[in-house]
Amino acid sequence: MSELDFLFAFAAVLIAGVMCCGRDGRAGWAAMAVYGAMLVAVMAAAGKVAGGSIPSALGFSVLGHKIGWRMDGLGWFFSMLTAGAAFFASWYAAGEWGRAQPGMKTQHLLLALNVAAMLLLVNAGDLLSLFIGWELVSWAAFAMMAQKGGPAQPAAMRYMIYALAGAMAVLAGIMIVHAVTGSFAYKDFAAAFGAMSSGMKWLLAGLFAAGFGVKMALMPFHLWQAAAYSETPGASSAFLNAVSARMGLFALILVLVKVMGLSALAGLHVPLIGLSAKGLLMWIAAFTMVIPTFIALMQTDARMLLTWHGIGQGGYMLLGVLVGTGLGTAGGLLHVFNYATYQMALFLAVTAVIHRTGTSDLDRLGGLITRMPWTYVTLLMGIIGLAGLPPMNGFVSKWMIYRSLLDSGSAFLLIFAFVGTLGTILSVYKLIHNIFLGRLRPQHEGVREAPWSMVAPMLALGGIGFVTGWFPGLALNLTDIAQAAMGAPELPHGLGGVATARGSLNMIWVVSILLVAIGFGAIVFYFLGNRRYEVNQLNNYAGGHFLSPQVPYQFSHEFYPGLARVIGPWYRGSIVRAEQGIGTLLDVSGDLWRGIYHLAWTPLYLLAATVIALGWAIMGGM
Amino acid sequence: MRLLADIVLMPLIAFITGLFLVLMYRRVRAKIERRVGPPFFQPVYDIVKLFAKKTQISHGVMHDLSIVLLLGGYITAEIFLPVPGFKGLAEEGDLLTLIYIMMVPMLGLALGVGSCANPNGSIGISRALTAMLAYDVPLAVAIIGATMTYGTTNLVEIVRIQQEGGMATWGIATMPLLAIGGYLAVHGMFGKEPFEIYIAPAEIATGPMVEMSGKYMGALFIMQCFQLYTIGVLYVTLFLGGGENWPLFLIKVAAVVFISVAVTNVYGRYRTDKVVRWMWKWPTGIALLGLALVMAK
Amino acid sequence: MTDKPLKSHVRPPQDTMPGGAGQGCPAPDAQTRSIWRRIMDDFADHCRARSLFVLHYCTGCGAIELPPTITSRFDMERVGITPMVTPRQADILLITGYLSLKTLKRVILSYEQMQGPKYVLGFGSCTINGGMYWNSYATMKRLDQYIPTDLFIAGCMPRPEAVQQVLLKLIEDIDAGRANAWQDYYRNYDFYLGNQQRLFGAGWNTPTDVIGEARHYGYYGPGTEGEHTRLLAEGGGSAARLAHAEYPSTALTGRIKS
Repeated sequence: MSELDFLFAFAAVLIAGVMCCGRDGRAGWAAMAVYGAMLVAVMAAAGKVAGGSIPSALGFSVLGHKIGWRMDGLGWFFSMLTAGAAFFASWYAAGEWGRAQPGMKTQHLLLALNVAAMLLLVNAGDLLSLFIGWELVSWAAFAMMAQKGGPAQPAAMRYMIYALAGAMAVLAGIMIVHAVTGSFAYKDFAAAFGAMSSGMKWLLAGLFAAGFGVKMALMPFHLWQAAAYSETPGASSAFLNAVSARMGLFALILVLVKVMGLSALAGLHVPLIGLSAKGLLMWIAAFTMVIPTFIALMQTDARMLLTWHGIGQGGYMLLGVLVGTGLGTAGGLLHVFNYATYQMALFLAVTAVIHRTGTSDLDRLGGLITRMPWTYVTLLMGIIGLAGLPPMNGFVSKWMIYRSLLDSGSAFLLIFAFVGTLGTILSVYKLIHNIFLGRLRPQHEGVREAPWSMVAPMLALGGIGFVTGWFPGLALNLTDIAQAAMGAPELPHGLGGVATARGSLNMIWVVSILLVAIGFGAIVFYFLGNRRYEVNQLNNYAGGHFLSPQVPYQFSHEFYPGLARVIGPWYRGSIVRAEQGIGTLLDVSGDLWRGIYHLAWTPLYLLAATVIALGWAIMGGM
Repeated sequence: MRLLADIVLMPLIAFITGLFLVLMYRRVRAKIERRVGPPFFQPVYDIVKLFAKKTQISHGVMHDLSIVLLLGGYITAEIFLPVPGFKGLAEEGDLLTLIYIMMVPMLGLALGVGSCANPNGSIGISRALTAMLAYDVPLAVAIIGATMTYGTTNLVEIVRIQQEGGMATWGIATMPLLAIGGYLAVHGMFGKEPFEIYIAPAEIATGPMVEMSGKYMGALFIMQCFQLYTIGVLYVTLFLGGGENWPLFLIKVAAVVFISVAVTNVYGRYRTDKVVRWMWKWPTGIALLGLALVMAK
Repeated sequence: MTDKPLKSHVRPPQDTMPGGAGQGCPAPDAQTRSIWRRIMDDFADHCRARSLFVLHYCTGCGAIELPPTITSRFDMERVGITPMVTPRQADILLITGYLSLKTLKRVILSYEQMQGPKYVLGFGSCTINGGMYWNSYATMKRLDQYIPTDLFIAGCMPRPEAVQQVLLKLIEDIDAGRANAWQDYYRNYDFYLGNQQRLFGAGWNTPTDVIGEARHYGYYGPGTEGEHTRLLAEGGGSAARLAHAEYPSTALTGRIKS
C-alpha cells in the first residue's frame, strides 16, 4: 500500500466510523486525530512526491481505459491543505462548539465526505477520475451547504445549478478530448493539444475554464458563492472557504497550466482586442480581485464579508499562477496556502463571536475586545494577513505576485492588484472595528471568551500565519514541490524570502526589525510620562454631553459613507442588476422546463414521438 | 555594528528632521496668515509638554498598544528608507515592502482609535481610510510607473540610477506626468487642506485624535514628524534624484513639504466623496497618462 | 439662585481666593525632591509654560474677543498658545462670560476630562461674581466655587490685550511652578462636589472618577472625600448608578465611582 492508499483508507475508515458512532461526544476528537494522522501521512510523502508521483491501488477499467489515482506534487500540495484544514475545523468543532450544534453527526459525516471527495479530486490520475472527483466534490459541498436548511438552502440550490452547469461544461470538454485523442490520460491530451486547430483550442480552454471557474467563483460565475458559504455552520464554513473553493483553482492549474500549457494559451489570440487567452484569463482574475473585494466592503454581515473576500483572493492566486514565472507561480501557490491559514482563522474567530453573542451582524456588535481578547488577537492576525500587510504571511505571497507582475511588465494588472489590496484594508478594518472596537453594547456585558477548544485552533492558525510570515521559506519549501510538478520554473529562495536582482524581500529582517522597532516604541511609550489611568467607556468626549449606557454612542452602520456615495451607485447598478438578470433567466428557463414537464400537452408529445418514430423507421428503412 | 548604528540613527535623524519640517510647516502657515508664528523650539515644547502631563487617560490595552505600533511602524519604515550615508536595510526589503510597512502604523492607530469607543474617532478613521483609498490609487500608478522606468524596486538602486545620470535622469525629468500625479497624491497623504477630511476639527472634533491626551497625543505629534519626513523622502527618492549629500537632500525634502504647505492655506475642506472623486479623476488620470507614456517607450 | 457658600462649605480663605490660585495648594514636598527630579520638573514646567493648548468654552458672551487674540493682530502662537478642540487635548479651559446651570454641568465634565496640569481662566466679570447676571435665577456667580480657577480676567468685556496679559501671567506662574490649582480639585474634591451638589441636587454625578484618579496619582488629600462624596457612594449619582446597573462588572468599564 502506498501513502496515497493510506490516505484513502483513512478517509474511508473515518466515514464508516462517523456513520456508526458519530453521535458519541468523543467522535469529534477521534475525527481530529484521524485528520491529524492524514496530515502526518501527507507530510511523510513529501520526499517521495518531490521526485515523482505515488500511485494508488484504487482504480478500475471502463471501455478499455484504465482509470486510476496517483499523487503528484500538485495533488500533494492540495491534499496537505485539505487535511490541514479538516484537522483545524474538526479540532474547533470537537469541543464546546460541536456540543452546542444540533446534528453534529451529520456535520462530522459531511466533513469526512468532503475530505474524501477532495482527496479523490486532487489525486486524480486522468481526466475521467478528475471528473468523478469533481462531481463528488460538488455534491459533497452541496450537502454541506444545504444541511442547515433555512436561508442556506436556496443558496445551496443556486450553487448546485451553477455547479451542474459547470460540470456539464467540463464533461463536454472531456468528451471532446476523448473524441480527439481516444484517451483520458493527461499526457495524451497534452500531446494532442498543440496540434489542434485554434478554434478547438478555444473551445476546450473555454469549456474547462468556465467549468472550473464556477467552483472558484471566477468573475462572471461568482454570484453563488458568498450566499452559499456564509450560511453554512461555522467550522464547515471555514473549511469550505479555506480549501473547498480552491478546488476550482486546482483544476484550472491542472488542466490549463499543466496540461495545456501557458505558452499555448498565450498563443491563442482574441481577435480585435489584442489579448491572448492567457491575457484574457489574467484580466478575468484581475476583475475577480477588485469587484468582489468592493462588494465585500459593502457587506453588513461578517461571514458574507469574509466570503466575498475569499472570492477576491482567488483572483490573486490565479493571477500569480498565470504569470507563469517562478516568482509568480510560487506567489500564487503560496497565496493558496497563506489564504487557507488566515481565512480559516478569520472564519473560526467570527464563528466564536456568533457562538457567544448569537449574531454576526456588523451593525449589532461592538466593543467585544475586553470580553473576547484572544478571539480579537486571532481576528487581528487574520485581517493583517488578509490585507497583506507585514508581518503576516499574506504580505509575502502578495509581494511575490506584485513583483512577478512588475517583472512581466503588466503594469495595469498590478494597479488592479493594488486597488484590491486597498479595498481589503478598508473592509477588514470595518470588520474588526464593528465587532471588537467601539462601545460594548449593554446586552453583551456578560459575554465571555470562547472556550479553549475553540481558541486554541484559532490561535494555532494565526501562529502559523505569523511564523510563515516571518520565515516564508518554510512555506515556500511546500510550494516548491507543487511547482516542480506543474512544470513551472523553479524559484530559488532562502528561509527569509526571495532575492532577485530587481528588488528582494527578506522577511526575517523585515519582521525582526519591526519587532525591534515596536520595542523602541514600547520604551518610548511605557517609560516616558506618568502612569496611565484606565477609564470606563462612558468617560468619553461627547462635546460636554453626559453619556449613559442607554444612549448609543457608536459609529458602525454604513461605515464608509463617503466612499459609498462614490461607488455605491456602481455597485447597486451593475452587480445587483446582473444578479437579478441571472435570477430572472433561471426563473424563466425553470418555468419553461416545468411547463413542458407538467402541462400535459399529450397530443403534442404524441405527435413528436410519432414523427421521430416515423423518421427513424424511414431512415432505418433506407 | 554598522547595522546597529543604522537602526538607532536613521529614526533619530528622521525624527529631528521631522521636527524641523513641523516647525517649517507652522512658520510658513503663520507667515501666510501674516502672523509671527511659533518659536524655534515649539515642536519640542509641545511633545515634552504632552509627555509630561501628570495624568494620562487610557481606554484599554489596545489604546496603549496602538501607540506602540504607531511608533514602531514608523521607526521600521525609516530603517527601510535609504538616505545619504545610510543604507539601512533597504536591500532586504524594497519599495513595495516600504509602502506596506507604512500602512502598519496607520492600522495600529486605527485600532487604538477604535478601542477609544468614541464615534468621532471612528468616523475619523473611516474618513482616513477612505482618503487612503483615494490617494493611494494615483500613488500606486506613479510608483508602478517609476519602477517600470527604473526597472527595479530596490530603493538604493533607484537612487543610484538617478544620481549617476544627473538631473536628466531624475524621475521628474524622465516621467513628468507621473511626478505630477504622484505629487498630488502626496499632498493628499500629508492630510492637509483640502484633504484634511479626517481631522476636520469643526465636524468631528479632530477625528482620530479626539480621545488622545498626554503622551498618546505626544506620540501622535512624533508621528506627524515621521510622517512629513517619510513622505517627503519617498517622493525625493522616486522623482527628485534622492540625496547626493545631506544639505541638498534636506533642501529637496523641505521643498516637497514646503510646496504642499504653501498651497494648503487657500483651500477649504472637501467632502469625503469629493476627495475620492477628485483623486480618482485628476491625479489618477494624469498618472495613468504618464504610465501609458512610460509603457509605450 | 443662591450659590453663596453656606458656613459648612467655606474652606479656609486662602484656598478659595479668586486669583490666588497656587498659593492655596503649594507644590508638594518641594524641599524633599532630589536634584535630578527638580531639574526634570523645572524642564517640564519650562516646556509646559511654552506650549499651551486652549479649549475655548464660549457659550456665554465674549467669544468675539478671542479671534483677534489668536489671529494675526496679536498672534498667540508666538508664545506657544494654540486653540484645541477637545478637553482631552487641552491645557487651558478658557470660560468666557456667564455660565448657566446647564452649561456649568458641561464645564465641570469638560474640566474633569482634561488632563492635569490643567488651568482654568475665568473671562469677564460674570465668572468672578456674576457680573450683570448677579440677580439671575439661572446663572452661577463664582466659577471658583465649582472648579479651581487659576486666573480671572476682569472686565465686561475684557479686551484682547487683557486676555493676553492674563495668559502671560499664567505662563509666568507655570514657569515658576506656581500654577497648581488643578491639584486642589483632587485634594479638596469634597468641597467642590458639595458646591456642585447644592446647585444640581444630590443626584449630581459625572462619568469621570475623580477620587480614583486622585488615589492613582497620589493627589489624595484629607479633603478628597467627605460628606458629599459619600452621597456618590450611596448611589445618588445618576450616570455612575446607571453604569452600575448596566455594567455590573468593572472589567470593561474601568474603575467606576463607588
